[in-house]
Amino acid sequence: MASPVLETHGLVKTYGHGESEFQALKGITTKIWNAESVAVVGKSGSGKSTLMHLLALLDAPTQGSIVLSGQMTSQLGAREFSQLRNETFGFVFQQFFLNPQQTVLENVTLPLKIAGVSKTERNQRGMETLEQLDMAEKAKNKATTLSGGQKQRACIARALINEPTVIFADEPTGNLDTATGEIVEDILFDLHTLRMITLIVVTHDEDLAAKCQRRLIMQDGQILREEHGVTA
Amino acid sequence: MRTLDLVGTAVSNTSRSKLRTALTVMAIVIGAFTLTVTAGIGSGVNKYIDTMMASFGDEDQLYILDETNMDQAGAPGSAGAPPEYDPETAGASSEFGFITLDAADIDVIQDIDGVESVNPMVSVNGEYLETPDGTAYALDQFDAPQNASGLEFAAGGAPQGNDEITVPTAWLEIFDTEDPHAVIGQEIEIGLSNAIGEPQSATAEIVGVTEEAISGLGGNPMPSIALNDALYQLQTSGMDIDDQYMAVTAVVTDLEGNEDAVKADLEDQGYLAMTVEDQIGAIQGIINMVTYILIGFALIALLAASFGIVNTLLMSVQERTREIGLMKALGMSGGRVFALFSLEAAIIGLLGSGIGIGLGVITGVAGNQFLTSGPLSDVAGLTLFEVEPAALGLIGLLIVAIAFVSGTLPASRAARKDPITALRHE
Ligand SMILES: Nc1ncnc2c1ncn2[C@@H]1O[C@H](COP(=O)(O)OP(=O)(O)O)[C@@H](O)[C@H]1O
Ligand SMILES: [Mg+2]
Repeated sequence: MASPVLETHGLVKTYGHGESEFQALKGITTKIWNAESVAVVGKSGSGKSTLMHLLALLDAPTQGSIVLSGQMTSQLGAREFSQLRNETFGFVFQQFFLNPQQTVLENVTLPLKIAGVSKTERNQRGMETLEQLDMAEKAKNKATTLSGGQKQRACIARALINEPTVIFADEPTGNLDTATGEIVEDILFDLHTLRMITLIVVTHDEDLAAKCQRRLIMQDGQILREEHGVTA
Repeated sequence: MRTLDLVGTAVSNTSRSKLRTALTVMAIVIGAFTLTVTAGIGSGVNKYIDTMMASFGDEDQLYILDETNMDQAGAPGSAGAPPEYDPETAGASSEFGFITLDAADIDVIQDIDGVESVNPMVSVNGEYLETPDGTAYALDQFDAPQNASGLEFAAGGAPQGNDEITVPTAWLEIFDTEDPHAVIGQEIEIGLSNAIGEPQSATAEIVGVTEEAISGLGGNPMPSIALNDALYQLQTSGMDIDDQYMAVTAVVTDLEGNEDAVKADLEDQGYLAMTVEDQIGAIQGIINMVTYILIGFALIALLAASFGIVNTLLMSVQERTREIGLMKALGMSGGRVFALFSLEAAIIGLLGSGIGIGLGVITGVAGNQFLTSGPLSDVAGLTLFEVEPAALGLIGLLIVAIAFVSGTLPASRAARKDPITALRHE
C-alpha cells in the first residue's frame, strides 16, 4: 500500500444546465491505495455511482482531477481512456450486462476480443478463468440459462480475464439473494487478497462494506467520513 | 478488436433478427436483380447487333443517302418548317416519300477526293436458279454484293468477275454433292421477271461456297457487283425509267484517316454518309438509351432500399444501446464501434447484391435460353442476355458501397454513444 493507484483532487460533477443543473459530486479529494479494498457506501442518490464512473474513466469530471498510477488522466485522449479501461480495469455490474445471445465463454472473453487477442488464446484464458470460478461446465451455455449467482460469477470472470489492477463493482450483490451474495463476496475478497487486486465496491450492503479495509461514507455528493479496518 | 473478429461479430449481429435483416435484404435484392437483368440485356443485345452488323459491309465503305431523308424522317429536333418545293427532288422521290439517288448523284460522289469507286445498292428479286442438270429451284433474294468482305468460304472465294456468283453450303444438296469444291466452276442460270412481267435470264459461274454467318450473311447466293447490276438491268427492263437508288456505297481510300474530310465534302453536296460503325452506333445508341433508363429505375429502387438499411440499423443501434455501452466501457473505441455497424450495413448490401445478382443471372440466362430456342429461334445468333463478370462485379461493388454509405449515419450514432448513459438505459 505504498503508492496510491488512484488519487482525486476536488472532483466536481454537475449534471444538466441552467435550471435543471444538479451537482452530484461537490469536491471529492481522496486516495485509493494499491491492493486496497474500499467500499463506497451511502444513501441512494448520494453520488456513489457517479464517483465510481469518474474513477473508472467512464466519464469526465466537471472540475478537479484524477491521477492514475501517478499520471494526470486529463492529459489522455479518448483512445487511451479506452485502452486503460480495457487493460487496467475490471467491471462488475449489478445488472450483469451479459449478452443473452452469446455463450458464457463468449461473454467472458469479450474484453480480450476487444483487446485483439486471438481466438485460441481467448478461449484458453476464458476456460482457465471460468475454472477458477467453478463455471467451466457452463462455458458453452447461453448466458440466459444461468441463475443469478452464476451470472454474477460469469461477470466476475469477465472482469478478471484481462488481469486488471483495479476491479470496480457497482452493487455486485444487489440482485442476489443473501446466500448467493455471500458466495460472490467471498470470491471477490479472495481475488483481492490472493492476487493483490485493488477492489472498489459501491454498495448498500453493510455486510459487504464491513469486509472492506476502508469505507468511504457518502452523503449529498460529499465524503461524510471514512472508516478504517475490517469490521466483519 | 481484430478485423476478423469484427467481421465475425458483424455477421452474427445481422443474423440475430433474421426477419428484419431478410426484409431489408429483399429491398436490395430487387434493385440488384433489376440492375443485373438490365445490364445483361443491354450488353447481350448490343453484342448481337455488333456481330450481326460486323459481318455486313466493308469497313472501308461509306453508305450514302440523300441528306433530305434525314431531315424529313426527322431526327428528333430537326423538326420545323418543311424544305422549299423543288420539282427536281420531288420527282426523285419514290412512292413512299424516300428521296432516291440517280446516275447524276453517282457522278458527283465519284468526283469527291478520296472516293475510289461508287456502287449503287440495288436489290434484285430472282425467281429461279437452274442447275446444270436442268432442274430449276425457287430463288428468293440475293445477298448484297457490297457485303462480300464479310463472307466466310467453305470453298472458292468472293464473286468479282462479270458473271460470278457464290452459293451457300446449304444449297450443295441441289447439286447432288456434299463437297463444296465440286460445285466451283459450274454454270447456273438465273431467272427473273422484268418491270412488265416478261421472263428474263442470265448465266453465272459459281466461284465460291459460303458459310452462313449468324447475321444470315452467306445464307443466300451472292452475285458479283457487276452481275448484280446486270440482273438489275434485266429486272428494270421493258419500261423506260431512270435508275434510282435508295443508297449507294462508296469505297474510300484510308477511310479511317479521310473519314471526316470525305463526310464533310459529301455533306456539302447534300448527302448523308455513314460508316458501318455509324450505323451500328445509331442502333446501339437507342439500346443504350433504353438500358440507361432502366438502370435509372433500378438505382431509384436501390435508393429506396438504402433508406431501409438506415432504418433497420437505427433500430438496431437503439435496441443494442446497452450492448454498445458495455463494449465501450470494456474499452472498445468509437472507431471500432463505427466500423462494426458499417460492416453490418455492408453485409446486408453484400447479401442483397449476391442474391439479387444471382437471381438476375439465372433469370437472364434461363429467359434467354427459353426465348432464343423457343419463340425467337428463327433469329440466328440472337442473344438477349449476356453475363459480363466485370459488370456484375461493378454492380456488387456499387450496392455494397451504397449500403456502406447508408450505414454511416446509424454507425456514427452508435459510435457516439456515451457508455454510462447507455448502461443506464432501460
Ligand atoms: N445523467 C444524469 N443526469 C442527471 N442527473 C443524474 C445523472 N446521473 C446521476 N444523476 C443524479 O446524480 C445523483 C447521484 O446519482 P448516483 O451517483 O447514481 O447515486 P447513487 O449511485 O449513490 O445512488 C442522483 O441524484 C441522480 O439523480
Ligand atoms: Mg448507484
